[in-house]
Amino acid sequence: MNFVHFIELLFILMILILVGLPLFGKYSGKRLFSDPDANLEEYKHLQVRKEEVLLSIKELEFDFKTDKLSQVDYDEMRAKLEREAVGILERMDGLEKLGRKTKKSAAQVST
Amino acid sequence: MNDLGEFALQLAFATTLYGCVCYIMAARGNRIDLYLSADKTPLLVWGFVMVASICLWKAFLTNDFSVEYVWAYSNTQQNFFYKFASFWGGQKGSLLFWTLILTSYMAVVHYQNRTRNLMLVPYAMTVMLVMTLFFLGLLNFSTNPFERIPLPPEDGRGLNPLLQNYWMVIHPPTLYFGYVGFTVPFAFAIAALITKNLDDGWIRLTRKWALISWFFLAMGNLFGAQWAYVELGWGGYWAWDPVENAAFMPLIVATAYLHSVMIQEKKDMMKVWNMSLILLTFVMTIFGTFITRSGLIQSVHTFDEATLGFIFLGFLVVIVAFCVFLIVKRLPLLKGKNELDSFLSRESSFLFNNLVLLGIGFATFWGTVFPILSEAVRGVKITVGPPFYNQVNVPIGLALLALIGIGPIIAWRRATFSNLRKSFLKPLTVMLVAGVALFPMVPLSSKSEIYTYITFMLCAFVVTTIVIEFYKGSKARMSLHGGTFIQELGSLVWRNKRRYGGYTVHLGVVLIFAGIAGSSSYSVETQKHIQKGETIEIADFELLYNGLGVTEQSNIKTRVIATLDVLKNGKKIWVSHPEKEFYKEQNQPVSEVSLLSTWKEDLYVILADFNPDDESATFKIHVNPMVSWLWYGQWIMAFGTIICMWPDRQEQRRRLERMKKQQAIFVAAQE
Repeated sequence: MNFVHFIELLFILMILILVGLPLFGKYSGKRLFSDPDANLEEYKHLQVRKEEVLLSIKELEFDFKTDKLSQVDYDEMRAKLEREAVGILERMDGLEKLGRKTKKSAAQVST
Repeated sequence: MNDLGEFALQLAFATTLYGCVCYIMAARGNRIDLYLSADKTPLLVWGFVMVASICLWKAFLTNDFSVEYVWAYSNTQQNFFYKFASFWGGQKGSLLFWTLILTSYMAVVHYQNRTRNLMLVPYAMTVMLVMTLFFLGLLNFSTNPFERIPLPPEDGRGLNPLLQNYWMVIHPPTLYFGYVGFTVPFAFAIAALITKNLDDGWIRLTRKWALISWFFLAMGNLFGAQWAYVELGWGGYWAWDPVENAAFMPLIVATAYLHSVMIQEKKDMMKVWNMSLILLTFVMTIFGTFITRSGLIQSVHTFDEATLGFIFLGFLVVIVAFCVFLIVKRLPLLKGKNELDSFLSRESSFLFNNLVLLGIGFATFWGTVFPILSEAVRGVKITVGPPFYNQVNVPIGLALLALIGIGPIIAWRRATFSNLRKSFLKPLTVMLVAGVALFPMVPLSSKSEIYTYITFMLCAFVVTTIVIEFYKGSKARMSLHGGTFIQELGSLVWRNKRRYGGYTVHLGVVLIFAGIAGSSSYSVETQKHIQKGETIEIADFELLYNGLGVTEQSNIKTRVIATLDVLKNGKKIWVSHPEKEFYKEQNQPVSEVSLLSTWKEDLYVILADFNPDDESATFKIHVNPMVSWLWYGQWIMAFGTIICMWPDRQEQRRRLERMKKQQAIFVAAQE
């Protein structure tokens, strides 16, 4: 067996160990991710939307200050964005309540 | 070592195959053990491909001509840099190089996402591994870079002389970094389609990847233009060659994508459009490799042994079919809930920008494939040359340039005519003043000159809008925060890197437009056969020919160098040394251009022919105005892109806060 063959053997052993060990370790049979929680997914989406709407309000102000918008348009768009933001926040509140409730009952079940 | 390289490629193939299967099983069966097992494969595959690459580099650097690929693209006299770069000089090595970049990107993606996005990542990694598998399949079963020659020759054939230029070390890797980089957003887009996670999560995850890939692709295109300019010796930098087009098309589609994703992020709409654009960008990168390697198109860029056409075509068809199937299947989920607030808004200008960019992309695509289609259908190959592209793309390009200026002026969501009038007043005034000032100076006798005149006016318009944006923004911040103009300008850019980095990129694009316009319309050229002591006059220059010199450079080549004194207004300003190089074992001599480049114009001298007996010579001389504007524009673009890519701490903080809140409220939250 020459040096190259020895290295090739090492490579094969390395693959077998690195790839094989997790299959027989403590994680065997465990789940990769919990079942998708529709509320959590919606909440995540709303968190991002909330940030985007707040950023849009800031941008609207900036556009107004730099003379790109008329007062009428600014007021109208701002009111629209604020309504959107309020809608998002209300829905998030609802989801938070649901989430907390579910978490509490899950904790009670586990104890 | 060659055996080891070959073996490493075989192991990489087997490991990739295992990774694909294991990731899919982990995701579908929701099994962490399988995921942890598959999770090792990206790094293992990268390691094996790296070993194979090191082995090939070693073969080049040690002149191991028993390897057929080394013999074909190197020789003992080649210097270190060209031996190093010969790695990607031919088809086999370039495929290995592509695989090396792909697996390196894959390793980085794996590291970034090792504990998050566990629903998307297995599918995204599978897509990347499938791409890797395709290239490793080619390397193992079709184009083995370690193929041996039974009786090794003493010396190799050497790298094509046209490729023996320092750009060979820079241009192909840059382009490949761009091409391959789009695999990452593509993989996450496919993962999002499969897992139905169709909000803008995948866009945010891959935003930097798309930007980095776009950056490399843009730089790669411009580096290629510089290389063509200094090496090919025809006086130009872009010839609408099919392979140039192949690199240009993904850049154009990716540019459209980078603009339209902003609308999805802001307004949660245009999901189908953005998804289609990123898939199309990736398809275009594979189409580019198909063009280069199919053997269907003759170009200075195609590989000598381009024989993989049908394999790439098949792969391309499978990818397109799979993408179309997924999009159609998920169409109901991709429908946006929001609509445009107004036709007169920045969103609309972005949509127009997208249409214009895709128009350029389609015209370029059509011109590229038309010769292939005409040959396949009618048996006659019809060449589509620069006149077609210029006729179609120049007017569309002008519309694009105008939109670059119009976009920043219009407010997001809604604008009114009265505000637009106010916003447009100054830029339009500057544009008209520029038009009036230039009118007596520029000739307007041809269509091309009229287009150039319009381009210059539009450049003035766009630059003014951008300058006003920076100025007004800084002033608005000054009134809010009370800092100095410079402080607020810095903070304006720092707090809105994406927007103002983008404007900086636009400034670079304006310079590129101006450079293209000036150099295409106002170039002059002459060709003359003269004796020693005679002169050639062109534009403001007078070139006095002083004779030829011959230099033997080691055993590789013989250089024939002409010397010309360059005079401007009777004053000697430079000595030009155009050359002809004769490489051993190569039939065709190579011209080395002698170039005097200033911001105003380039003096471009080529030694076209010579007579060694009487030292008479034929020179081809071009005076190309404003070419350097392209290269300045390139660096400004690079600077702007770096601003856009700079890590945003606020965004990172927001992401962590989001996760914290999710964990506090929900069971087993993860992002």
